[in-house]
Order: sequence, then C-alpha cells, then structure tokens
Amino acid sequence: MKNRTLIYSVVLLLGIFLFSCKEEGKYHSISDKIEGESKPYHGILTSEELLADTELIEITEGEHTFLIPERKGQIKSFACIECHSKPVSQMMGKDAPKAHWNIKLNHANSDAMNCATCHNGEEMNQLNTLTGKNIDFNLSYKLCAQCHSSQFEDWKGGAHGKKVAGWAPPRASNTCVNCHNPHSPSFEKRWPVQFNTKTAIERNEGLGH
Amino acid sequence: MSDNKKWFSLDLGLNNKKESSGSCGCGKSEGSCNSSPKEEELSADEFYEAAINASIGEERHRDGFEQVFDVKMDRRSAFKKLTASLLIGAGAVTTSCSVTTGSDTKEKAQIGWEEQFKGNYKLMTDEEKQGTINRLMRSYELRTDKKINMTAENAAEDVLFGYAFNISKCQGYMNCVSACVEENNQDRNSEMQYIRIHEMKDGEGFKFDKADDNYYHEVPAEGHFYMGTQCFHCDNPPCVEVCPVQATWKEEDGLVVIDYDWCVGCRYCMAACPYDGRRFNWSKPEVPENEVNKNQHYLGNRMRKKGVMEKCTFCVQRTRKGKNPACVEACPTGARIFGNLLDPNSTIRWVLENKKVFRLKEDLGTEPKFWYFMD
Ligand code: SF4
Ligand code: SF4
Repeated sequence: MKNRTLIYSVVLLLGIFLFSCKEEGKYHSISDKIEGESKPYHGILTSEELLADTELIEITEGEHTFLIPERKGQIKSFACIECHSKPVSQMMGKDAPKAHWNIKLNHANSDAMNCATCHNGEEMNQLNTLTGKNIDFNLSYKLCAQCHSSQFEDWKGGAHGKKVAGWAPPRASNTCVNCHNPHSPSFEKRWPVQFNTKTAIERNEGLGH
Repeated sequence: MSDNKKWFSLDLGLNNKKESSGSCGCGKSEGSCNSSPKEEELSADEFYEAAINASIGEERHRDGFEQVFDVKMDRRSAFKKLTASLLIGAGAVTTSCSVTTGSDTKEKAQIGWEEQFKGNYKLMTDEEKQGTINRLMRSYELRTDKKINMTAENAAEDVLFGYAFNISKCQGYMNCVSACVEENNQDRNSEMQYIRIHEMKDGEGFKFDKADDNYYHEVPAEGHFYMGTQCFHCDNPPCVEVCPVQATWKEEDGLVVIDYDWCVGCRYCMAACPYDGRRFNWSKPEVPENEVNKNQHYLGNRMRKKGVMEKCTFCVQRTRKGKNPACVEACPTGARIFGNLLDPNSTIRWVLENKKVFRLKEDLGTEPKFWYFMD
C-alpha cells in the first residue's frame, strides 16, 4: 500500500515535471519562437491613421508590394513644361532666363553623369533611363536602381531606408529622394546633436582620482 | 469593492459616502470627526514591528521568489495592519478628517493612499489598471493644473517586437539620443540617456573598453564606425530573474518593462544586465513643464521618481499604437529598423532572413531581440 502511494506520487511528480517543462521551454531560442508563431499580421494595430495625410502610391517590385510617397505634388515647379515649353537644346541661348542656378551636380563624376543621365531634355516632364526610356517622376527610384542595385535590393526588402509612419501594416516606405538629394546624394559631415556634460565631468573626475 | 482584492486599501470616505468603520472614524467626506479613531498606544518597537507587518507582512518570512502578492488575512489581522497603516500615514488621515483642509487636499490624500497601497501592475485587472492611470492623471492635474494623457494598453496579440541596427549606416549624429530623451521624459538634471552611441575604430571589431560613447567632434570621424546600444529586450532576460519583488517582467509582446511604483530601487537588475541597458534615478528626475511629453503609458514614459530603475521600453506608448519608437523615427540615416518579428511580411523579418545578422554576447543565452547587421 505504502509502495503504491509512493509510485503514484512519483508518477504524478514526473508528469507535472514533464508538463511544466514543455510549457516553460516551449521554444529553445527566439528563432524557434519566431518560426513557430509566424503568421501574417492582420491584427488591430495599423498605420493607416498615421498615413492618412500622406499622398501615397502603390508599387510592386519583384515579390514586394508596398506604398511610397507621391512625388510630383512635392516638386515646387512641377510641371516642368510650364517653363520648358521647347526641348532644352532649343531653349539654350542668350535670351532665355537662367534657371536652376543653385543646383550643382555632386553625384558620381562628370565622365559618368550629367543632367541628361536622368532628365529627358526633349520631354522635361519625364525622367529617362540610361537606354532612353521614359520614367515618371513618381517612380524615380527606378533610375537610382540602375547603378545602385544592392541598395535597391535592400530597400525593397526594407533593410535600407525608412518607413513613412509606423511599424504596423500597411507598409509605406520612403523612396530614395525622400532622404537623398538626387543631385548631391551623400550625407554630410556634421556635429552630433547631443553631448553629455555630466558623463564628461564624471569621467574627468574619475581620471583625477 | 470586491472582497478578493490583492491588497487592502484605506477608504477615506471620498468615494464612499456610507458609514465605514475604521477609516477615519466618522465616514463623513467633509467636516470634522468628533470621535477619533480608536488607536492603541504603541511603543517605538511595536510601532516598527507593526509598520513592517503592514507593508510587507508575511512576505518577509518568505524567500524572494516565493513571495506571493495576494496575502490572505482574516478580519483581525486586517484590522491590525490597518491600524499600523493609519499610524504610518497619520499625516494623510489628519488631513482627511480635518475641517480646515479643502477637498483638493483631501482628494490628494485619498489618491496618495490608494496609490500607496495598490498592487503590482503585472497582476492588475484591466479595470485596476484603468483605476491607477486615472489616479495618476488626476494627481498630475492637482499638482500642476496641467492635463496629461496616460494609457495602459496591453500587449497586442500576434505581436513580438524586434529591432535591427545597421552598423554601416550609422554616422554617429545622435539624433536618436535626443529624440529618446524628449520622448521618454528622461531626467534633464543628470542627463540620463537610454541610448549610447559608441564610436569605434575601423578594423578592430567591437572593443567597448576602447570605444568612446561621449564624443564631440564632426561625425563620421575618419577611420571610425558607430554602433548604438540600449536595452535589447532579451527574450530570456537576466534582469527579470533577479528582481526580488517582481517589479520588472517581460510582456507578451516581448517588451521588458518596469513598474516604477513597485520597484524598490535595489539595483540588482542593473547588475544583472550584461548590456548596460538599465538606468537608475539617483536624484529626483526633473523635466521642465513645457518639455514634458504628455502622451504617456504607465509602463513607459510617465514621470518617474527618485530611487527607481528605468530603461528603454521600445517606446511602449508609441509602439502599442502601431508607431515606430522615437529613435527609429528620428534617425536620419535609416540605420534603425523596428517591427513585428512574428509577421513574415515585416521588414524586420526580411532583414533577419536576408542580411548577416548577429547579436551581442550571444553565448550568454539572453536572446536579445536586437540584431546588428551591415550592408
Ligand atoms: S538588455 Fe539588459 S535590461 Fe534589457 S532585457 Fe536584456 S538584460 Fe534586461
Ligand atoms: S531596482 Fe527595481 S526593478 Fe531592479 S531589481 Fe531592484 S526592485 Fe527590481
């Protein structure tokens, strides 16, 4: 009788032990957990409200479909043909007013690039690819992608660049020209916005002792 | 009020007009109490004993981990504790029962009492959570005449937050650091900062002892790279294990949070964190009134007090509304990527699956949800 009770309790304990083990350590690592519980998010949180004030267009590149900000409405002097009523070649001359004097091309070197690498001199409302195909200003990323292919891959996946609003779907990503000035795309050197005077003092004192 | 509350509270008669025995002797919300509460005379030693009993009670006989929050008691011991509490909070009781103090002061005292004896946030029902944030908002209004907006959103289902940091992109501008300070109402006096940006020499790998996290010169500096650290919201957080009062824990969405009102300031967690993720308030945190971020979360950027621990919460007040953390939004280079690890369509998942990612001190088994990668 005594023995039986003992066996029962041992079995019970073992059961509890095994059960709790399973519950507690259901996953061995965070990657197991991610894999185990992975499913497309259709929950209550969305970025829709945050995106409400931004004009967006949907693009599909390879297997990725997402939103990017509309561009043409943001360009101050669009449409270009309001001034560029004739092709650039015909407008070049003494009497035409000088324009775009503030734009200096600081992008690759002049052997590789000039204005016409991206702009279509015959049809100023359009951009053009290296082979002369027209590209809409809203899809200017396609021009960048011609040379910057690895950045393009990362951008499509979401490793390069920034979201327009929150993490929650729908995905809206800034496009190249939202962060980079296409005429001078690299980031400038500058001073950090923050300096911790308290840490500096503490460390100085630390050295003095 | 339900009988199975997880703590006992003192009713000063503000919420409850009916006769209540043992609170301030009369049960009236205003005016004087003619009969003073029945108090036993206690010696200093007895008082000390009673005070400890009232605050931690049986828990002091238990080991840290075994502590239970819902200590059951009978009417007699409850009354004993109540008496002791009355003594500790004599000030509040006096104010409450006095003729001369206004209703604002009484309300303050009432809120003070209820806050003092509320339970651990982790164990609260949604109703109780709402109760405490309502009190905190009201108390801020009473003190400053300004309104704040505090929420208590719980973790959303099917969400597990994760973070990725692109070392090739970070230029050391520190926009993230200042955005974080402003968003999270961090103490301006001690210049507390959750985020550190480490400037490291190219070609030497991660040498934190040789890195500079408080540089002030034009960046990026020639021959250097930059990487940021903050709380990594470990999936297996050692800081949570060591807390003797369970004031810090991991939420369902993976955020490691602190109940600032339950923390006793022992700093065990700070010692246990292998990543320098935690910050302690050695002095009373000060934020100029016009700089206070008034959109707050109980577990996030609400105002802290002296002697409690705090740290990055992945901006719980923002992320539980679908927004990105302030650092992610502020970074001008796109070095910071945030999202839902459980969503296979999220950008963070693409980074984890397509870039070569690594974490700091992976061998410790802390499983940080914060990955680094390069272009
Ligand atoms: S980084 Fe440190 S504070 Fe943050 S969860 Fe991990 S151990 Fe805890
Ligand atoms: S400092 Fe606070 S949160 Fe950290 S271990 Fe101590 S009580 Fe817990």
